[in-house]
Amino acid sequence: MLNLTPYILLAPLVGFVVLGLLGRVMPRAAISLVGCGVVLVGFALALADLLSMLGTPSDARASDITLWTWITAGSFHVQFGLLFDPLSAVMLMVVTGVGFLIHVYSIGYMEDDPGYWRFFCFLNFFIFAMALLVAADNFLFLLVGWACVGLASFLLIGFWYTRPSAVAAARKAFVVNVIGDFGLLIAIFLLVGVYQGALDYGTILGVQGGSAPDPTALAPSGVLLAIALLLFVAAAAKSAQLPLHVWLPDAMEGPTPVSALIHAATMVTAGVYLVARAHVLFEAAPTSLVVIAVAAGASAFMAATIACVNNDIKRILAYSTISQIAYMFMGEAAGGFSSGIFHLVTHAFFKALLFMCAGAVIHALGGEQDIRKMGGLRERLSGVFWLFVVSGLALAAIFPFAGFWSKDAILGAVLQRATASGAAGWYVLYAVGLLTAGLTGFYIFRLILVTFFGQYRGAPVAGHGAAHGATIGEPLAGLHQPGMALMAPMWVLGALSLVGGVVDLPGSQWLNDFLVTAAPSATELSSGLVWGSMIAGLICALVGIGVAWSRYARGQSPATDDVPASALVVFLRRRWLIDDLYDVVVVRPVLAFSRALRLGVEDDTLDAGSRGLGDAFGSLSAGLRGFQTGFLRNYTLTLFLGAVVILVYFIAVSQ
Amino acid sequence: MPLSAYVILSGVLFAIGALGVLARKNPLIMFMSIELMLNAVNLSFMAFAHFLDSVQGWIFVFLTLTVAAAEVVVGLAIIVSIFRSRTNIDVDELNSLKG
Repeated sequence: MLNLTPYILLAPLVGFVVLGLLGRVMPRAAISLVGCGVVLVGFALALADLLSMLGTPSDARASDITLWTWITAGSFHVQFGLLFDPLSAVMLMVVTGVGFLIHVYSIGYMEDDPGYWRFFCFLNFFIFAMALLVAADNFLFLLVGWACVGLASFLLIGFWYTRPSAVAAARKAFVVNVIGDFGLLIAIFLLVGVYQGALDYGTILGVQGGSAPDPTALAPSGVLLAIALLLFVAAAAKSAQLPLHVWLPDAMEGPTPVSALIHAATMVTAGVYLVARAHVLFEAAPTSLVVIAVAAGASAFMAATIACVNNDIKRILAYSTISQIAYMFMGEAAGGFSSGIFHLVTHAFFKALLFMCAGAVIHALGGEQDIRKMGGLRERLSGVFWLFVVSGLALAAIFPFAGFWSKDAILGAVLQRATASGAAGWYVLYAVGLLTAGLTGFYIFRLILVTFFGQYRGAPVAGHGAAHGATIGEPLAGLHQPGMALMAPMWVLGALSLVGGVVDLPGSQWLNDFLVTAAPSATELSSGLVWGSMIAGLICALVGIGVAWSRYARGQSPATDDVPASALVVFLRRRWLIDDLYDVVVVRPVLAFSRALRLGVEDDTLDAGSRGLGDAFGSLSAGLRGFQTGFLRNYTLTLFLGAVVILVYFIAVSQ
Repeated sequence: MPLSAYVILSGVLFAIGALGVLARKNPLIMFMSIELMLNAVNLSFMAFAHFLDSVQGWIFVFLTLTVAAAEVVVGLAIIVSIFRSRTNIDVDELNSLKG
């Protein structure tokens, strides 16, 4: 089997280095060519790998390349190796494929930005980091990729570093991500202990054809549970699940292509990937799956409800991302690891498209993000409108769009688990899933209707040059129509959002079979339940869309913040008070503690001590300075007096 | 003459030299006073060498003369260079190392 994985990683790394060193002096066309070209090369290599894999028997579809040995210390060995198996193949395809489309989109979106080369440099670094994350063949290099992704997101969220809000958002994302890195690191320490120094997937997870050793035979259940929960801490931080989701909505401060890339298509999926990859460890500690199910169910519902009242076009999508990622975790918690990955793939298509559409609207209106100041854009931006509808239908899981098949695969897996175990909790999770499906339909069509229907409510758009004068009569005359660089990737993603579900239709289950060695679905779905669940999900989504239609069909603006709202709406607008809770429980105590340390310990103790020491020596030398009169005869006299004293002493001693 | 006469003369010469170093402001005179002190010491070395019949005193005198010659060379060079840069060699004016 062909294995070009090192070169898939090398391509964006080369782009990063070239742009980082020479980007400042390169012309824009060259920057675009390098930035997009290297990712396209990566995608082509990943595609070649995948095609070669498809021609291989399913039991030989894992290829591990060891590039060099990183650490050898006693029984502890870490090698820099890259694993190419069905799971990493799917992930690499998504990362490089969707990543490439977003790179092309960025050419149009960032065309006027002075930091053009820097942007592509960071984007390439991000693709490299994510590829390393999904292609690493051991947990240590997973952590390396994990941390690099965190760094890349920090750089890109804070891309417009002159905005204080962007810098704050970048810092927040970084801090929360480091919590996750810490969880992963501790989990790795525990794994080193359990597996006697081995960290490679082959030994721990048995991905190379060989079966994994049974973890329950190696370690007490408490240790296994700790490992699984720490891995989920890492996954929750990266994938923005309760209670570590707070960074994602703020991360919308970054440029919109960044939101599409990091916060829809790739970075947030790292946690889903980790749970699928390490499913052996999670299955060995079943309690951890219950924890994931609870966190995912709560995240899905919470984020969907917040999205229903938010008025920022990108933040609505950000909360939608949290909610959809939570669906993936729900599927995985129920044992349907491949259904989680399936939703990851389709979600990458339609969520990237949603962000691109939102970006096109923001771009057209010259930076406006508040949907209350939009409206009536349907005729002006008809292409964007139809793509928005396609991706919205895919998000709302309407037949036959991509999201329909994947979301219902997840709901089916949860229902299967519920009927198999008979526990009420799984039925509750299923009900939450259905409810969230309805909320999803509501908030996305609220967004579409408010943005594109009715009358335009915003300020006149300042246009380029000659169009400027026309703004008096027609507020939208200065609208910036999206160019080819914006629209071309959107059409591609639109097509994928429409037909992306074919990879895993019920009955064929192609993706499920493909992933069976790496991320199996523990549950065999019985067809009756699956079809019933699909219809239930579809009805919920349609009801949600219907409610949205009944309230916003004429493009009515949502109530503004100053209109008195019910307690529930206020609660939702304040994001379930979770940010306030963090503020009270974490931020303020830490700040107060730091301030006390600064004033009490730093200023009054350490600084006062060192200052006192300095002052003591200062006054000592001020006194001694009096001896240095500058008169030669004074010195001479001192010399003679000293000699006399010594003389007198010796005379006194000798007698 | 007894030894005490030599020692007293040497002490008187030394005291005169020391007083000259302390009292005068002209560095040339101060140098001459230092020479006087050195030769006062030489005198007592010679006297003791003679009375104790030892050659060590002689050797020390040669050593002192050599050092005195070297010291005068260096000292005069310094005085000349100070005079060139300041046109004034009054030691009370040379106080730039005042603390």
